Amino acid sequence: MDALIRVDDVSKRYDNNGPFAVENVSLEVAAGESVAVMGPSGSGKSTLLNLIAGLDRPTTGTVTVAGQRIDSLSETGLAKYRRQRVGMIFQFFNLLDDLTVADNVLLPAQLAGLSRAGARRRADELLERLKISDHRQAYPARLSGGERQRVAIARALVNSPELLLADEPTGALDTATGEEIGRLLLELNQAGQSMIMVTHNPDLARRYASRTIQIVDGRLAQDTAVAGARP
Amino acid sequence: MSARPVLRAASGGVTRHRAQTFVIFMVLLVSTASATLGLALLTAASGPFDRAFATQHGADAAVAVNSGRVTAAQLAATKRAAGVSAASGPFSSATVTLTDQGVSLPSSLLVGRASPGGPLDDLTLVSGHWPQRPDQIVLSAGDGFFPGIGSKMRVTTAPRKPQLTVVGIANSITNTADAWVLPSEIGALRTAGAPAAAEMLYRFAAAGTNAQVRGDVATVSAALPPGAVGGFSSWLSARQQATGNSSILAPFVEAFALIGLFMSVLIVANVITGAVVASYRRIGVLKSIGFSPVQVIWAYVARVGVPAVAGCVIGVAAGNLLAIPVLHQSAASFGVGSQTVPIWVNIVTPVAMCALVALTALGPAFRAGRLSAVQAIALGHAPRQGSGYTMHRLASRLRLPRPVSIGLAAPFARPARTAGTLAAIMFGVTAVVFAVGLNTTLARAETGQNLAATAPVQVSLATGKTWLPGSRQDRAIAQALRSQPGTLRYVAAGQTELSAGALARQVNTEAFYGNAAWLGYDLISGHWYTGTGQVVVNTAYLSQTGLTVGQSTTISTGTLSVIARIVGQVFVPGNQPALLTSVQTLGGTSANLGLDQYDVGLKAGVTPSSYVGRLNHVLGNGYNASGPEGGQFYLIADSLIAMLTLMMAAVAGLGVLNTVLLGTRDRVHDLGVFKAVGMTPRQTIAMVLCWVVTPAVVAAVIAIPVGMVLHSATADAMARAAYTGLPASFQAVYRPVEIVLLALSGLVIAGVGALLPAGWAARARTATALRAE
Repeated sequence: MDALIRVDDVSKRYDNNGPFAVENVSLEVAAGESVAVMGPSGSGKSTLLNLIAGLDRPTTGTVTVAGQRIDSLSETGLAKYRRQRVGMIFQFFNLLDDLTVADNVLLPAQLAGLSRAGARRRADELLERLKISDHRQAYPARLSGGERQRVAIARALVNSPELLLADEPTGALDTATGEEIGRLLLELNQAGQSMIMVTHNPDLARRYASRTIQIVDGRLAQDTAVAGARP
Repeated sequence: MSARPVLRAASGGVTRHRAQTFVIFMVLLVSTASATLGLALLTAASGPFDRAFATQHGADAAVAVNSGRVTAAQLAATKRAAGVSAASGPFSSATVTLTDQGVSLPSSLLVGRASPGGPLDDLTLVSGHWPQRPDQIVLSAGDGFFPGIGSKMRVTTAPRKPQLTVVGIANSITNTADAWVLPSEIGALRTAGAPAAAEMLYRFAAAGTNAQVRGDVATVSAALPPGAVGGFSSWLSARQQATGNSSILAPFVEAFALIGLFMSVLIVANVITGAVVASYRRIGVLKSIGFSPVQVIWAYVARVGVPAVAGCVIGVAAGNLLAIPVLHQSAASFGVGSQTVPIWVNIVTPVAMCALVALTALGPAFRAGRLSAVQAIALGHAPRQGSGYTMHRLASRLRLPRPVSIGLAAPFARPARTAGTLAAIMFGVTAVVFAVGLNTTLARAETGQNLAATAPVQVSLATGKTWLPGSRQDRAIAQALRSQPGTLRYVAAGQTELSAGALARQVNTEAFYGNAAWLGYDLISGHWYTGTGQVVVNTAYLSQTGLTVGQSTTISTGTLSVIARIVGQVFVPGNQPALLTSVQTLGGTSANLGLDQYDVGLKAGVTPSSYVGRLNHVLGNGYNASGPEGGQFYLIADSLIAMLTLMMAAVAGLGVLNTVLLGTRDRVHDLGVFKAVGMTPRQTIAMVLCWVVTPAVVAAVIAIPVGMVLHSATADAMARAAYTGLPASFQAVYRPVEIVLLALSGLVIAGVGALLPAGWAARARTATALRAE
């Protein structure tokens, strides 16, 4: 099976003489996998996710996604990569407060130049599927945390990306809502969506990921398949 | 209160926010420089003349007296007349013709004085010495004619045509004479049969206006026998002559200064308020670690004060550097020595600008000082929720690329800041509209004066002498003109000075030998003369005679006179009355009229410079063909307009840069989100540039009529200062295409100002932006 993501000996430091945030990490993720990246605060798991998302560049090493080296892309190339191949979900949702739910979801599609009708159709379909179509004209500030994260997921999926990256997707939610979002992500994965999820929550990782990676002090400490998980 | 933490907090703010520090520095630099330049120019308009007038005890009026009709005692009695505060004289005088190396000069007023000093009209000896012998003469510096010390001049109108040696050059601030000799020599230099004349100089208690001076002279005249007073010259005319160009420049410099002042106040307030408001979060942090309200206030006043003071100091120096070339020109025209920017301007300008900065900074700083730490931190976050949501919703319906529609709606999230941006662009566009209009008006005025569009070539004798119609010289010129294939048409003209109506001063009269309508003199009212008995005159002629177009006027040489109808008011600026007509209209009064020059029109496609070269070759020595000369005044005015407009546009651009920079700071997290979901750097730049499009369009819509009204009012004021009306074509300078282009200047100012922060936003690292609070 070809790897969807290949990270080769990647290191990242923010200052020339500073410590490594990520050091000599290598890993592969296959298409359809759901990988949980775990580790203590400051261990480098979000940095690793940012490198795969093309939000940051490695200091050394290479990152290849769907056969495309992204560490050497220009800023424009990275933007196109993000809008076509990656959907991002953040702990604090990162929705744009001055846009309606529908406009937030539509935004990546509009940036990608999708037809107006096509983008609306896809957004409506996602809002329906994620059970937030009643709020399509609402502003994010009026929604609950769970609803906002659903909007964020819809936005991440609007361009049908090959890869969904989630940084602490339940970190800002109460337990029940976190469960709900976790189940939603599982459903997406079961439908074939490749996914990498950064989380502190071992229970979430165990229940909703097929593989767990442990990062400690920027290094890959452990890479294990979750028992009972789908292959 | 300990100063150390305050200084540390202030210096931390200065170094951390380098871009804002730079904007504050630049805005203050440009504002202070333009204010210094404006004030320097305004003081230059009258300062040197007034100083020289006071130093030289200038005379308010120089009265010509017919000595044969008045006794010395009667003249002495006028020194005690009502309103007279000081008097000097009588000085015997004579009107003579002087020649220099055979060339006749215009008639000159020769005054006999034993010494240059005196209680009134204390002459300044510029070079040489005062006459010590009968055959010596001192010339007036005011005439601008310096044959040189030791030169010989002949008085051709005196019975024995005596030769005089130039021994000095002197300056009378009110031009009371063209030359001076010893008093004992006047009698021998007077034209045979001419009545004995003298000059009395007076200072009056009230002489601020022409009416007051006329009234004062009337009082003096009334104390003397009828016919004793022949005429007078007022110090106000001399002042006008000396300060003429500066007076004409003053209205537009004042207009620019007004725009600059408003813009400086607005942008300084905007920059500093923005800087303080943008730092609320930091203020909250400072308070939470123990800063007192007073320490917070001082930390922020000091933070904006450091670049502001630096900008003011360098701005004053820059203003001085910019003012030097203009003041140099001005000083040369006053003939009163070099001019510098007055010390008080160099002190008052930066102090006023710093006071402005302190006042505008204190308001938000006080507010910051009063806020609790939590409130300050909360206020430091992005715009209030709800602001601009409707505009975003409406913009999303537009069929525009999404970065564009998001950018267009963004300004509505911060209405106050957007109003600041709008006002900065509005002032900038007003300056541009005003400057373009003024430039066009001045260009038309220059062409109207030198007739470059219709008669770009003039031909005269190399000696500057006149010649008679039909003479050898006249035939030679006409033949040369006919021989040139580029010649379209030509007309000969002669100039003389004639009396007109009740005017005490002579009227510059230009008479044409043939059809001159094609010269295209710009008309303010009426029409060009179409036959004998008709004249056109300038505004000074009408205002000084009290006549209007359509009325008749009498023109005379003193012995012969003709009556002609004024059919048009022509654009000939200046306080000197001027009359243009055909030689036939002048009739007998043109007996002594010679020819001065030929005005030549060229066929299409013929360049004046090559034509002049060929014509001079054909004419040979003794003749001079020349192209139109650009007036020094227009050169100075154009340079000033360009410089001031650039400064205003630069300040406007900096104002935009500041607000866009604050916007990108406010929305840095949103920018990270945009980029995270796939916005490219180019789309980011387009979005940020679109933030300023709406304010730029609204600003242009407001600024264009404001600039046009300002142009109209200023052009009128300049024309009044130049003693002329304006032809309608000088005011109607904005064509529809130009208005559209001028409207685009708002977008240019806004775009240039926003480009830099837009670039920064595009280059910002997405992960870093997402981490920003």
